[in-house]
Amino acid sequence: MQSLWVFLTLSLTLPSLSAAGSGVAVIEKYCTACHGVSKMSGLDLRTRETALKGGTRGPAIVPGHAADSLLVKAISGAAQPKMPPGRDALSADDIAAVREWIDKGADWSGGKAKQSTWWAFRKPVKPAAPKVKNAAWVRTPVDAFILEKLEEKGLQPAPPASKLTLLRRVTFDVTGLPPADEEIRDFLADKSPEAYTKVVDRLLSSPRYGERWGRHWLDVARYADSTGLDEDHRYPDAWRYRDWVIEAFNEDMPIDRFIRMQVAGDLMAPPPGADVNREGIIATGFLALGPKPIAQQDKKQMLADVVDEQIDVTSKALLGVTLACARCHDHKFDPFPTKDYYSMASIFASTKSFSKVGNGGVSEMYSAPLVNRAVYERYVDYTGKVKKLKKSLDEIRQAESARYSAGPRARLADYMVAAHHVYRDNADVKAVAEKEGLKQDVLERWVKYLTPSTDSRPHLDAWNKAEEPSRRSAATRYQGEYEKFAAEWDREIEVWRKKVEAAMKANMDAPPPPRPDVIQDPFFREVSFGKGPFALPEEGAEKVYSAASLARFRQLKAELAEVEKHPVAEPDMADCVGEGEPVRQRVFVRGSYNNLGDAVSKRPPLILGGEEMGEVKTVSGRLELARWLTGPDNPLTARVFVNRLWQWHFSEGIVRTPNNYGKLGMKPTHPELLDWLATTFMEQGWSAKKMHRLILLSNAYQMSSETSDATAKADLPNHLFSRFPRRRLDIEEIRDSYLMLDNTMDWKRGGTLQTGVGTDGENSAKRLSLNPEDYSIRSVYMPLRRSNLPNLYNLFDFVDSTTSCEARSRTNVAPQALFVMNSEFVGARAENLAKQLLAGEQDDHKRMARAYLHILNRPAQSGEIGDALDYIQTFARKAPGGDGKLRAWESYLRVLMGSNEYVYVD
Amino acid sequence: MSINEYDRRQIAGKDQPRISRRALLQRSACGFGMLGLAGMLHAENPLAVRQPHFTPRAKRVIFLFMHGGPSHIDTFDPKPKLVADSGKPLPFKRPLTFAEGQVGALMKSPWGFKNYGQSGLPVSDLFPHVGSIVDDICVVRSMVGDSVDHGGALLQLHTGHMALTRPSMGSWVIYGLGSENQDLPGFITIKPTLAHGGAKNWSSAFLPGVYQGTAIGNSGLKVEDIQGEPIAYLKNKGLSTDQQRFELDMIQKLNRRHMETRRYDPDLEARIEAFELAFRMQTEAPEAFEVEKESEATKKLYGLDNPTTRDFGWQCLLARRLAERGVRFIQCSHSYKWDQHSELYKRHTSNAAEVDQPIAGLVKDLKSRGMLDDTLVIWGTEFGRTPVVQGSDGRDHNPYGYSIWMAGGGVKRGFAYGATDEYGYYAVEDRMHVHDLHATLLYLMEDHERLTYFYGGRNFRLTDVHGVVAKKILS
Repeated sequence: MQSLWVFLTLSLTLPSLSAAGSGVAVIEKYCTACHGVSKMSGLDLRTRETALKGGTRGPAIVPGHAADSLLVKAISGAAQPKMPPGRDALSADDIAAVREWIDKGADWSGGKAKQSTWWAFRKPVKPAAPKVKNAAWVRTPVDAFILEKLEEKGLQPAPPASKLTLLRRVTFDVTGLPPADEEIRDFLADKSPEAYTKVVDRLLSSPRYGERWGRHWLDVARYADSTGLDEDHRYPDAWRYRDWVIEAFNEDMPIDRFIRMQVAGDLMAPPPGADVNREGIIATGFLALGPKPIAQQDKKQMLADVVDEQIDVTSKALLGVTLACARCHDHKFDPFPTKDYYSMASIFASTKSFSKVGNGGVSEMYSAPLVNRAVYERYVDYTGKVKKLKKSLDEIRQAESARYSAGPRARLADYMVAAHHVYRDNADVKAVAEKEGLKQDVLERWVKYLTPSTDSRPHLDAWNKAEEPSRRSAATRYQGEYEKFAAEWDREIEVWRKKVEAAMKANMDAPPPPRPDVIQDPFFREVSFGKGPFALPEEGAEKVYSAASLARFRQLKAELAEVEKHPVAEPDMADCVGEGEPVRQRVFVRGSYNNLGDAVSKRPPLILGGEEMGEVKTVSGRLELARWLTGPDNPLTARVFVNRLWQWHFSEGIVRTPNNYGKLGMKPTHPELLDWLATTFMEQGWSAKKMHRLILLSNAYQMSSETSDATAKADLPNHLFSRFPRRRLDIEEIRDSYLMLDNTMDWKRGGTLQTGVGTDGENSAKRLSLNPEDYSIRSVYMPLRRSNLPNLYNLFDFVDSTTSCEARSRTNVAPQALFVMNSEFVGARAENLAKQLLAGEQDDHKRMARAYLHILNRPAQSGEIGDALDYIQTFARKAPGGDGKLRAWESYLRVLMGSNEYVYVD
Repeated sequence: MSINEYDRRQIAGKDQPRISRRALLQRSACGFGMLGLAGMLHAENPLAVRQPHFTPRAKRVIFLFMHGGPSHIDTFDPKPKLVADSGKPLPFKRPLTFAEGQVGALMKSPWGFKNYGQSGLPVSDLFPHVGSIVDDICVVRSMVGDSVDHGGALLQLHTGHMALTRPSMGSWVIYGLGSENQDLPGFITIKPTLAHGGAKNWSSAFLPGVYQGTAIGNSGLKVEDIQGEPIAYLKNKGLSTDQQRFELDMIQKLNRRHMETRRYDPDLEARIEAFELAFRMQTEAPEAFEVEKESEATKKLYGLDNPTTRDFGWQCLLARRLAERGVRFIQCSHSYKWDQHSELYKRHTSNAAEVDQPIAGLVKDLKSRGMLDDTLVIWGTEFGRTPVVQGSDGRDHNPYGYSIWMAGGGVKRGFAYGATDEYGYYAVEDRMHVHDLHATLLYLMEDHERLTYFYGGRNFRLTDVHGVVAKKILS
């Protein structure tokens, strides 16, 4: 509130006179981006009054005394930290100008006090498409912006790519898959000028498009199917968010809506006719599905870390700024004071991310039903009843089990000695049982129990070490111990039985029986419960129940049968966020929740126009935040998104740091193009598909990846987009295209292969993600255990899924080559395809021609088929066994599949 | 990403002693190195051996990780006062702990301590073999961490942070120093747990993927299951070496033909080299894993002849073989066995029996081969255990004061550093926070304050803004 007041007051008192004094001009150029509306370190250099007042380090200027002014000391390096941070020092002239201006009294007339001088924090304005010399090259307005920069440098765009190159490029780009054989033939046959446009439209309307472009967004949204960090608990319904993203792209959902739903979908009205906003709830998985330290015992810290993660992903993914850097101190380079950070934290701290935090132990993540309350409560009620009845039944079984063991337990030592005779000397169990007068089924279970295993059972060490003649006495000792604990158990049961009788008389719920683990001895528990030798037999157990237990057991069973006559199906659930308790957030000084600073309101950073979010009416403020993010005055959201679209088409963005538009990010190589795209995007209703068409149909997109020496040398890093950048396929494209080659791809859409809940044992291999080499669905649908992502994905530079990923690396490493050379996955694809080719065509030439078209998406060139068949002949001669020809074909197909031509797209 | 990282650094104007990120990401031809890459590419090998900011005292690290939290007061930090006051209540307020509900009395160690060697350092009866090498080790009795749960504590120990994504210390080490053997990964973790952070404990996070640790199996597998293919895809199950060379020659022929019409793209050449390296690796790397080729005497030294010590003995002996072959950072894991909330006596006894001899064997073996001087061995854990009892015979987690030890590479020998209070609850003297351990570890190899990486808007380092080098332990 105070800052709003200051802002308004300043706006009213702004001087608007003629030319700025040179000192003011320097200050506005270098200082007010941070020491303006954002008041980093409390300092506001927009007016004389606030400059004289200064910030946390004291007054910035002492009029008439430049040498004593902190401002001069900071820009000249006489005081630390030197200003401006992270940028080149001011020139000597600029510093001299400031000195002189202060010495003369620091006259502030002429100051403009703009909101921000940083390009990215100013609202984009639509520029006109530039005039270019070679107007014929301009197919969509995009081309004018690209060509203008090239012409400025006297360069030519690369020539057009060949038809087949373009088809392979655009098909992989839009769908993550290669063109099918028929699609290649059709495209080559179509000589009409619209041939390429038809391809683009076909691809954009394919469901494969969402599977590719949804995955791009999932990189940014750091999607995974478990919490990662300490315990890596599964998110059982994360896949619904993933599928929603894919469908949103396929349906061309307006991106402003797409963004709003991810921040506040749960607070948006349900669609007409529905009583629950199912999609809206699912969409908030964006906030919910991050890494979470759920076993952190300091729960205040855990909550602060989860809020931090939500600020980080929201600010990077949607706004392209690194706001999380302002958690412990003001941002070092961008105008985000900690107050901005905690104003955003206030929103997420008032958002529900856990259904149970607890005072310790493992917290439970929030999830919500996708049906209305009443339906959900019926389900909760039903499962609650069933659970309770089943528990009671189990408890009776357990209690009776212990009681049952009381019979043979007097002969425990005999059973042990007899069992030893059976498992050690291979004696016949039936004969031994008869001879010793023991029950055969019980003895069999003793044999099973006592047979030494690799499990760690230190309580059996004494038995295993006992030798003749002391074995009998060891058994007697075990029996003695057992009886001690059995007596203890009997007492527990007796107490419980009395309680049950009393409860039955009073027509009340029976109390649960004691749990086996009230007895500390593992030998007793193992022998008496579960599948232990003295536990109840698994079949016909009821015959040996006591009368009281049997009556109670039958009553409970009848009740259960009655309840289960009207089952209530489990409703769909979502891992999502909801509205929490309203938190009155204060700044955590140095990031510590024990060190509270000023209270803050709920709003985005001031420098981005955060005050314009307006009054918060929801609990958390997420709905207001969502609207602000996609509002007409937001300087970043549209720019950040269209830049990503550009980047995913051209491998590099116009801003090459897509998650950082701050001072340490890169400035756009084509700022006018970026603003033209951003404003056009908004004008066209935030349609991604319309932007795709603008880009894909441009000449810029259709350039060759080869260009003239002069242009290549002048633009080696391709900052001017003077050629189309060649790229290595992503792991999804590699795996999916391999699965297409031998036609093993399972085109099933959506759903999940992940099973189970919670996490797995500390030494369990179940903690691994499922291995994508063992499945044939599209790669995007493989579940991702965040702590142990699939090795294959990691190998080929998949995202790390813990923070918003702006761009994948593309490395070329030897273990990737080993995958091609040696993996059974690649081998199986090559073998299957070889069999199909050998069965399908009669002639080796035709076979090889098909192989080239099928694998490399182009006809074989002269000489290639001959070389290939020579290879096959030679290889077949070398191969032992009768299947030399098959092995030779398999080998050559693997050659094509592993070649640079396959793995790179021109 | 590639160009971004490079250019961001230029913009930031940082003094970057490392090779350029752009070169690294665009051109790196190998996960394990790129020996044989000629000319212009050679200088940009991201795993080339690099000269640190000063002459390192240790060239490599072997980290013996005891997962679960062995009790310091029952191993390397004897507490006579705890013996005297056993059974009495803790005379001060108990700090945040894992099992909040239970408050037990002080419980003395069920083990006796003996003074070993010339240094006379005390070691409990759990570790008689380690006792025999005590004059070679430096015990740190004042470790401190921030997390009372395993997951946070493992992540902090391995990456410096318990809740945010950070590169593993092994990744930082090879980022800083490169790898001495280009046919093997520079950072290897043997049988790691998949829990408590899992692969994030050996992940390069935002450092380039070439600095990621390579896992040899996981803690759920037996040695026999791992030996067949210790590194993924290392073996071709159908082709002979000749056939494979023939196949590879054909790939390379196609690749070179493909490159003729595609210029200004070092990636294409890099991938050709990656295939050559891969071929060499699959021929040469398996030899490093042939632990069975060691002499009988050596195998016995590590306890490979005994089923109890075989697993960890195999890990330690493999670690020595990898260290000999120039692997920079090697971790062995005794996974998730030491978490004795109950049955402290039984389980600590059986756990120690599995590792005591292999650990001592490793240190002795390194010493006799002259490798101990430039190899830093660290025996460590995520936290210690409480001096108060949990249940009837267990101890809870204690990150407020616990013990680790180091041996070799630049640290004092037969030396004890730091101290906990008289019950062993809090570190009170020469406290060594996990950040300080990282700073000290890096100091033995590289300057922890200068080993930085620019990412997401700022410079990061293993110790972030913390870390004080424990100079008193340096030899």
